[in-house]
Amino acid sequence: MAKNKWLLLVSSLGVLVLLVTAAVQENLLLEWQQIQAQARAEDGPIPVQLRQVVNPTLRTADRCVSCHVAMGPGEQAVTGPMMAAHRPVVHDPAEFGCTTCHGGQGRATTKIDAHGAAEFWPEPMLPPAMSEAGCGTCHTQADVPHRAAFNLAAATFARLDCASCHRVDGRGGTLRPDAGGMEGPDLSRVGIAGWNREWYAAHLAQAKSAVSGPWQSFRPIADDDRGRVDAFLATRVGAPRLMAAKSVFLSSGCLGCHKVNGVGGDEGPDLTRAGEKDPARLDYASVPGGRSLANWFRAHVRAPSTVVAGSLMPAMRMPDADVEALTFFTLSLRRRVVPGTYLPRDRMRVERFGAREFAADGTTLFGAFCAGCHGAEGEGRRAPGMKPFPAVAHPDFMSLASDALVAETIRRGRPGTRMRAWADGSTGLTDADVTALVQELRRMSGTRAPAESRPARWAKGDPAEGGRLFAGACSGCHGAKGEGSEAPALANPVLLEHATDTFFAETIKRGRPGTAMHGFAQPSTVHRALSDAEVEAIVSFIRTLGGRS
Amino acid sequence: MTVKPGTPVSRLDPEQIPRRDALGLLSLWSMATALLFATVGMLRLPKAAVLASPSKKVKVQLPETLADGEPFVPPGRSMAVFRQAGQVYAISTVCTHLGCIVKASAGGFACPCHGSEFEADGTVRKGPAPRPLDWLEVSTSGGALVVNEGATVKPGTKVNV
Amino acid sequence: MSDGPAPASALQEFRDNLLAVPGRIVATAFRSGRPVTDRARSSFVFGNVFLHLHAARTHRWSLRWATTAGLGIASVAAFLITLVTGVMLMFYYKPYTDVAYDSIKDIHFVVPTGRFMRNIHRWAANIMVVTVILHMARAFYTAAYRAPREFNWLIGLALLVTTLGLSFTGYLLPWDQLAYWAITIGANIAQSPREVTDAIGITATFDIGGLQRMLLLGSDIVGEEALIRFYLLHVMLLPLVIAALMAVHFWRVRKDGGLTKPADVNARMGPAPSDVYPVFSEMPAKTYHLAAVVKGRSPAVDGGPEQTVPSMPHLFYAELGVTMLTLFVCTALAMVSDAPLKELANPMVPENPAKAPWYFLGLQELVAFSAFMGGIGIPMIVLVGLGLIPYLDREREGTGDWCGGPGGWPLVQRSIAFGFSASLIVETIVIRYGWLREWFPDIPQLVITAVNPGTVITAIYAAYSLWLVRRYNSTRAGALGLFTCFLCGFVVLTVIGTYFRGPNWQFYWSPSDWPGH
Repeated sequence: MAKNKWLLLVSSLGVLVLLVTAAVQENLLLEWQQIQAQARAEDGPIPVQLRQVVNPTLRTADRCVSCHVAMGPGEQAVTGPMMAAHRPVVHDPAEFGCTTCHGGQGRATTKIDAHGAAEFWPEPMLPPAMSEAGCGTCHTQADVPHRAAFNLAAATFARLDCASCHRVDGRGGTLRPDAGGMEGPDLSRVGIAGWNREWYAAHLAQAKSAVSGPWQSFRPIADDDRGRVDAFLATRVGAPRLMAAKSVFLSSGCLGCHKVNGVGGDEGPDLTRAGEKDPARLDYASVPGGRSLANWFRAHVRAPSTVVAGSLMPAMRMPDADVEALTFFTLSLRRRVVPGTYLPRDRMRVERFGAREFAADGTTLFGAFCAGCHGAEGEGRRAPGMKPFPAVAHPDFMSLASDALVAETIRRGRPGTRMRAWADGSTGLTDADVTALVQELRRMSGTRAPAESRPARWAKGDPAEGGRLFAGACSGCHGAKGEGSEAPALANPVLLEHATDTFFAETIKRGRPGTAMHGFAQPSTVHRALSDAEVEAIVSFIRTLGGRS
Repeated sequence: MTVKPGTPVSRLDPEQIPRRDALGLLSLWSMATALLFATVGMLRLPKAAVLASPSKKVKVQLPETLADGEPFVPPGRSMAVFRQAGQVYAISTVCTHLGCIVKASAGGFACPCHGSEFEADGTVRKGPAPRPLDWLEVSTSGGALVVNEGATVKPGTKVNV
Repeated sequence: MSDGPAPASALQEFRDNLLAVPGRIVATAFRSGRPVTDRARSSFVFGNVFLHLHAARTHRWSLRWATTAGLGIASVAAFLITLVTGVMLMFYYKPYTDVAYDSIKDIHFVVPTGRFMRNIHRWAANIMVVTVILHMARAFYTAAYRAPREFNWLIGLALLVTTLGLSFTGYLLPWDQLAYWAITIGANIAQSPREVTDAIGITATFDIGGLQRMLLLGSDIVGEEALIRFYLLHVMLLPLVIAALMAVHFWRVRKDGGLTKPADVNARMGPAPSDVYPVFSEMPAKTYHLAAVVKGRSPAVDGGPEQTVPSMPHLFYAELGVTMLTLFVCTALAMVSDAPLKELANPMVPENPAKAPWYFLGLQELVAFSAFMGGIGIPMIVLVGLGLIPYLDREREGTGDWCGGPGGWPLVQRSIAFGFSASLIVETIVIRYGWLREWFPDIPQLVITAVNPGTVITAIYAAYSLWLVRRYNSTRAGALGLFTCFLCGFVVLTVIGTYFRGPNWQFYWSPSDWPGH
């Protein structure tokens, strides 16, 4: 029975060879072992061992420092390939670990797994250029303004030359040799830490009593500019790029269709935790670049329906910088559950005390909720396959529409269109917001509420006659029963309830320059001029639409 | 082969192994080597390569009212921090006998388990403790006091704050 | 020792005894002395608690590679490997939903040899399933289930079920998406008798499905309770059960006179080759029969010890060889392929497709039509059918020979062809044209439960088998055909489930055709 012995011999030797190979692989050839073998501390080679940052409260066990040794606690002095110490940051990496901010897989000890490029890792690292998106894991900054206000505030801060004394976001505040070494405090994080609201009076007093040095150069600041400086300081939370990106998000009308933290419309998916989307579950068929969440968002913002088949989101046609900003901000929507002791104040304000992420002024509200469909300037939009979105800031519209009509339209929406009811309690908009939006539309259109001399209902024309005229002149665009197709629906209860006869009559007569709506008081190549009586008849007919005969 | 195939042999008769069975022994030894190697590899497994415990460095905030020579025990930590003449030092409250937590007072330390007592500087006064209490490394980082529970220093090492 | 001069003094004796300790420890541990005589070899076997499950002598027939292919020993070896590596993994595994996944990651990345251990554990478990199934097939094709081994066949079936149970319970422990959704499906299969009780309207009073699911999960969701139950089953209950069953299984093999042998085996074997230790022909001087303490069979059934060789060392070389070969295969596979670990379980996002372990994918293919029939009904029919085989086939022809019995190898060949074509044709119809629900949308569930691809294939096989019984006038022929057909059906369904089913359990020629999700 020698063949059984041979079997035993060969199998045993085979096992031995495999085990030796495995032992060599495990003990000598691992990636981090080879990296650490090349690293040097002040007193020679460092011990080659697994290193990690553990924080049981945050549930991190980050072995990143097994390769990035110098980033580990107390190892700044280690030199060698890949060895760079972390720049000083508010959250000590020795306490918070790496993945809390940077994402990725802290438990892994190989590059491909740790950085998350491998399959089945739900959370790859954030792109290095977008590291600040990691702040969104725990933080939620409230009251961020529209990009216009944001940029204006930043420009004001720059124009006033505050950075000559103060350091902000790693810039400015150079030491002055003739100034006794003093410089203003670092303002990079005052948006969280708070700042003296009486700073202007304090600066003035200092400037008055100064005989030499930088205080002398302090000049009085206009009230408007002071407000902008305060607005700028409010956004200094140590994440300047993220705040800028958020202001772009709040100017692109995304909340009109998407919810973030319970505020916004629900045409599109809730974005509250969009940054945690599992990249492995996305379709990259039409995504240029690598298979990363950032690339997917980029492509998606540019051409939603090519990335997600059947997406109702119109292509946004934005400059590349805005696409980057939206990608950046969307990546920051992570909102991890944060244990109590680590829950930051800003997040607590937003999640528990009803603070909102956007400033409540009309410009920001319009930018955040309306600009997506109605255009950044309220100029209206057309998107393939969709009814045109009306130019709500059109002066001809706003000068005829009463505040009540506009407000009520926002509150109750336009059934049958993508304009939803915004005051039904599910969107996070309040009555005060609606009022602010109406005022914003007045500001954008440069109009005032129409002074009404006639009663709301004065048209006494013959509806039958009006119907005949309507069929001829209006139904092509507004539909035979005013249901709307190319042009807005007229058989709309909110419109019929709140629009005055003057609104209808004047709109018919003057038209909407810049849209397909002609003024019917003048003849054109396709229609004759309508008389006042005919207009009145049409108005009477319109009043019969929508089942309200 | 002392017995030819087919030759009747009683099973009760003692009988010699016919010849050195080199192949059999070799195969058995190689199996033993392989299994031994596997066992050695497996024995490495229970020794953890990384510990699940967090950093031993503790930020300590000394109360303003702390008197000179009075121990301050940070909540949940086994160390006593002292302030003396503008200097700060920390002594571990882990008994050097069998690891019980000693009770700190201005006059010294007392261990509840086996009755060891230590002077205020950690030296043994009585009891079974074989050596003085450890002094811990104290450092200042960004204005905060940091005690490293994992690093001992020479007794008497104090830090200016 | 007694030889040599008497010690000079008690001190001298103490010294001598002390020096003799190592030798005496060995001598008292292995009381038989060096295994240089046949009797010493025998007592080496029956004097050892682990080895005495073997007979002291083994028939040369049993040592032929072609007799068993070592499949039983390979199963035991795979079990031992999973046992050892499993205990190792238990050092670090934490069966709590919030840390289970992290602990597996730690095992993979930082525990010394942890990843290797987990890979070996996983591969050994898979190999055990394969070898157990093949071992059963071997026992069937050599008609080893026949008297006196009928009940051991049933124990073997219990071992098969326990093996699958061990594998299935281990599947949940990593708490990743793969595990979570496979177990969700498994638990709902346990609940699937509701399909029947719902249809006849007695679920409110008699909810056996709900009870089964509840017992399995300990809760209404797959959560912490389920994890701890699966853990308990995986590391404690089922290993104990399988160890006990294995002991009985082996003991009965020995009691039943070793492996099944053809009636004319001694004549067939011919003279022993020269490298075999003496092969005896003389009748033993004493047997259990003569001692008259036991009724029944002695280890040397069917005659004297002629053509037998001492188990020590001949049988043990074979057993150790197979064991090391199994270890080698497991280790090699563990080095080239990591055990899977998908993303953390997410109860909100089902895996698509959510696939069970490969050996259940055949059932999953059937479950796609009727959860009850695919998950419980047909497996029960198959198990009952397998269990009845030794009690229905009471023939003697062909015992101990591969494909022995009326019909023989040609019959098996034809059955393979039939088994493959029948299941392939039914599956083709299903994949190409759908099933009853697609044709008659309002059809009652009870009809689908009764008539679905699984039951249809089963019925075809059963009819074929009955025809064989008539054609060859032999139950064995029918059993040969039926068993072969079911093996083929198992292979076809498993392969389709594994390789050709994609998201939403749609048919795809290749995973690269799966739609992006």
